[in-house]
Amino acid sequence: MVNTLAPERAERPASRLRPSGPVLAARARRRQTVVGYLFLAPALLFFAVFLVLPLGFALLLSVSRWTGFDLGDIRPVGTDNFTALFAAGSTFLTPVLTNTVLFALGTVVIALAGSVLVATCIDRLRFQGLWRTLYFLPMVTTVVAVGNVWKYMYEPGGLVDGVLNALGLGSVAFLQDPHTALPAVVVVQAWASVGSAVLVLTAGLKSIPRSYHEAAALDGAGPVTVFLRITLPLLRPSLLFVCVTQFLTGLQSFALITVMTKGGPGDATAVAALEMYRQAFSYGDWGTASAAAFVLFVVVLVITLVQLWVFRRKGEDA
Amino acid sequence: MTRPARGLNRRHFALALPSTLLTAGCAAPHRGTGRPGDPIVLTLLSHYSSGALKKALQDPVDEWNATHDRVKVRNVAVEFTDLLTTFMVRQAAGQGADIIQPYCLWTGQLVRAGVLRPAPPEHAEEIRRGYSAAAVGAASVENRVYGYPTEAQTYALYYNARLLRAAGVGGPPRTWPELEAAAHRTTRRDRYGNTLVQGFGLSVYDDSTTVGQTLALLNAAGGTFVSPDGRGTAIDSPAGRSVFELEHRLVTGGASAPGVNVYQAFPSGRVAMVISAGWWTGSLKPLMGADYREVGVVPVPVPRAGDRPATLSTGFLLGVNTASEHPREAWEFLRWLNAERTGARGVTRMSALQVSVGSLTGRADDMRALLGRGGDPNLRPFLDALAYAVPEPNVPGAQRAKTLLRANIEALWTGQQSVGEALRTTRRQVDQEVARPW
Amino acid sequence: MIRRRHRFPWVSYLLVVSGAVLMVVPFLDMVMTSFKGPGESGRLPYRFLPQAFDFSNYRAALDQLDLPLLFRNSVAATALITGSVLLTSSLAGYALAKLRFRGRDLVFRLVLATMMFPPFLFFIPHFLILVHWPLAGGNDVLGRGGAGLTVSIVALTMPFLVNGFGIFLVRQFVIAVPDEILEAARLDGAGEFTLWWRVVLPQTKPVLVTLALLTFVDAWNEYIWALLVSTADPDVMTLPVGIQLLQDYVDPTRTMPVVMAALVLSILPVLVLFLLLQKHYLRGVMLSGLK
Repeated sequence: MVNTLAPERAERPASRLRPSGPVLAARARRRQTVVGYLFLAPALLFFAVFLVLPLGFALLLSVSRWTGFDLGDIRPVGTDNFTALFAAGSTFLTPVLTNTVLFALGTVVIALAGSVLVATCIDRLRFQGLWRTLYFLPMVTTVVAVGNVWKYMYEPGGLVDGVLNALGLGSVAFLQDPHTALPAVVVVQAWASVGSAVLVLTAGLKSIPRSYHEAAALDGAGPVTVFLRITLPLLRPSLLFVCVTQFLTGLQSFALITVMTKGGPGDATAVAALEMYRQAFSYGDWGTASAAAFVLFVVVLVITLVQLWVFRRKGEDA
Repeated sequence: MTRPARGLNRRHFALALPSTLLTAGCAAPHRGTGRPGDPIVLTLLSHYSSGALKKALQDPVDEWNATHDRVKVRNVAVEFTDLLTTFMVRQAAGQGADIIQPYCLWTGQLVRAGVLRPAPPEHAEEIRRGYSAAAVGAASVENRVYGYPTEAQTYALYYNARLLRAAGVGGPPRTWPELEAAAHRTTRRDRYGNTLVQGFGLSVYDDSTTVGQTLALLNAAGGTFVSPDGRGTAIDSPAGRSVFELEHRLVTGGASAPGVNVYQAFPSGRVAMVISAGWWTGSLKPLMGADYREVGVVPVPVPRAGDRPATLSTGFLLGVNTASEHPREAWEFLRWLNAERTGARGVTRMSALQVSVGSLTGRADDMRALLGRGGDPNLRPFLDALAYAVPEPNVPGAQRAKTLLRANIEALWTGQQSVGEALRTTRRQVDQEVARPW
Repeated sequence: MIRRRHRFPWVSYLLVVSGAVLMVVPFLDMVMTSFKGPGESGRLPYRFLPQAFDFSNYRAALDQLDLPLLFRNSVAATALITGSVLLTSSLAGYALAKLRFRGRDLVFRLVLATMMFPPFLFFIPHFLILVHWPLAGGNDVLGRGGAGLTVSIVALTMPFLVNGFGIFLVRQFVIAVPDEILEAARLDGAGEFTLWWRVVLPQTKPVLVTLALLTFVDAWNEYIWALLVSTADPDVMTLPVGIQLLQDYVDPTRTMPVVMAALVLSILPVLVLFLLLQKHYLRGVMLSGLK
């Protein structure tokens, strides 16, 4: 997709080993096995302790009742935690999961539209590096800074209302009004992630041979036609990547929401990962929290697979 | 893996105690050096983290440390918003403080999780004897006492006498019809429709202004939030409906503007009446200066003249952690702080502490001694309310239930739900939460 | 593009520049607010510029925060994470790219698979594993009874010490190193470790710089995990967590200016680093498009 790396070489068969007899080759091979696993040991050990073990632990907790303090108190309760999440009156499906999906979807739509626009435009300008750097600033800034700055800008007497008032419009209590709180947070998340999308799309644009555009222009195609017929289809892999990663981030991110609204007002910006955090670390219900994590994992998986499938099908149609 | 000996040692440097922790493996960080002869260090985790509150608690703790050699107490504090999470996370991390001061709302959750240790019989008896029934109830689960009630809050109606006079309202309201009439008469708007004076302050700013005042009105109407057996909510009742309808009428009629932060608007004379807790007197006084003269407090209005008065009480308790290795010492300190009488007036240190920051405790005799003459007359209605207030429920899912109630109240005020929907949704959601078997 | 060079791309400039303004204004607002006096922020009508440049907010931020502690924790955690990720990624990346042994492809697929699990899934179990780490922080062999690793700075770093993407990135790069160089060194009798140290590391310096930057920025800015660990033990608090907490402790008329001042101080190091080495960093982000 991106050409900054030297192309991966096709693996050559054993010819790489010195042809100095089967014994030597076998010994070299054995040594490489030992060294190979030695080099991999730290990573493999880490994955065992911090990936496999936690997965098992999370699964166990999701079918148990536990207050989080004494390992001996973990009590299996079957699928109770899952049924409770979807029981009548539970807030998990609505508004929590719907908020989560809307948050991710909103972010993806805004960031994708913005980044496609900006990336194609930047491609025609001078000082491309400067522009890209500016768009990238939020990415290297801690979410605490991003969240607080925007929270402050949204407040009465803040920059956003200041601009609205200067335009003769009334003030909006963005983060206090349940109707506007989620969109307001979505805008910030999109603002913060547009930079990396621009970067990936720029790389994608650069890999489109210029001759395509020139040929189309010679055929008399206008810039819009060129964009829709040539640029966009050829950008598909980059678009897919941006789409999938932004969705992934959006579905599981709650740092920004923790900083800006803590899920409020009411439930207006409560998202699944935040709910998981609270169930475990505030309400001491680790079973429900783990069950919520797994439900969210399934949602993430399904949405990702659907995206891959849609993009692939479109690819075949084209 | 290296053992976190550095982290352990640093804490003890901070305590200025000899800190040669030889075996990191044998002592959890808050339990002193563990060497014979060295003092036991008890940590106390509260939300008295800044300003006057911090100092008010530090003074008696310093006094204890100056007069006791064997047992020392160390204050640790976080903001109230972080308090519950801090209890749970530190407990989960094996670092729970020896003494904790939770909000009574959480008692059930903390008892279920095995964080709070039941009070030993002699302390339990002392507590039952010394405090009002509401305070004891809030610190108990299934008739078992879990700690010394400390800060006690009751809810009453604050009013701005100047705004009432200006609107031609004779005196503060005693009943709901009077409240509504006064709210509408005091409301003033400019020609663009901006609210200049809010008649009755409803605020989505925090739990105490949304849930607290709604529950105070609910209690005044004879209702309760959670059913007596703690297995469901009782909000979807005639009393609950009447409260939601009252608030709904106030909002739609323009007498309340829930978007405004009443904590800022009332002191600056832009709200005529608010239901809030007693601690607020303490922060209004310095904020308003001379204008505080115009602030009056009366009991929460009741639906009809002649109804029995009732309101909400909330509070905190000081309890001992199940994980503490020195429960006896911890209870002894708590008795010293909460039950021993000192000074000329013969009041407990805790009562003196609370009154010094504008709050109350559930010890009626102390309160009479401290507030008897010369004190702020506005504290009197809060004190009287201790006798008839209904404690906030403290069943295991109470914090969650409160959060759910708040979300639905806000949805009602912002027009997202009708009264009927808000009642039904609250009932469904809270029932699902508190009725779950554990 | 090449055909249209004679026409100045007005529309594009307008779009990109107004977008760029949108990106920068919040940062400017942060800086401006950090100079505003008591009661000045939040006053109506909104004013972008402060009435006077008041440096006292920076003083207040420095007074309120235990900056040495926060900085030390942030620096230590970030350094530990970055160092560990570089080392493990480089070792594993080399093994997966150039050594031949049974199960290599399986391991590589496993590494790719690790990138598919969202971090929140591990949030709770990671915390529990740290708490119940055997023989640490007062724990017994079964990991019970004490605080485990949560009372140490290690807790901040644990879940981030190895990074599947890092391994993948280095492997893709090492594959491009010509086998002839490695073979020549082997013929000279160099062991695999020497080979890695003397040949692979220098050859892969660019990708390591990139990986280091990516890891550094992420680690420095990490908030949620640090928040949890600092809740358990305030002594390991990092900068973002400390600044977020600052909000509750300051005089309300100047909360925002002081918080903004602290934020300016905390993002400055990363911003400078980014601006100096942005070429490497941005390349890393583009490379992530390879996944």
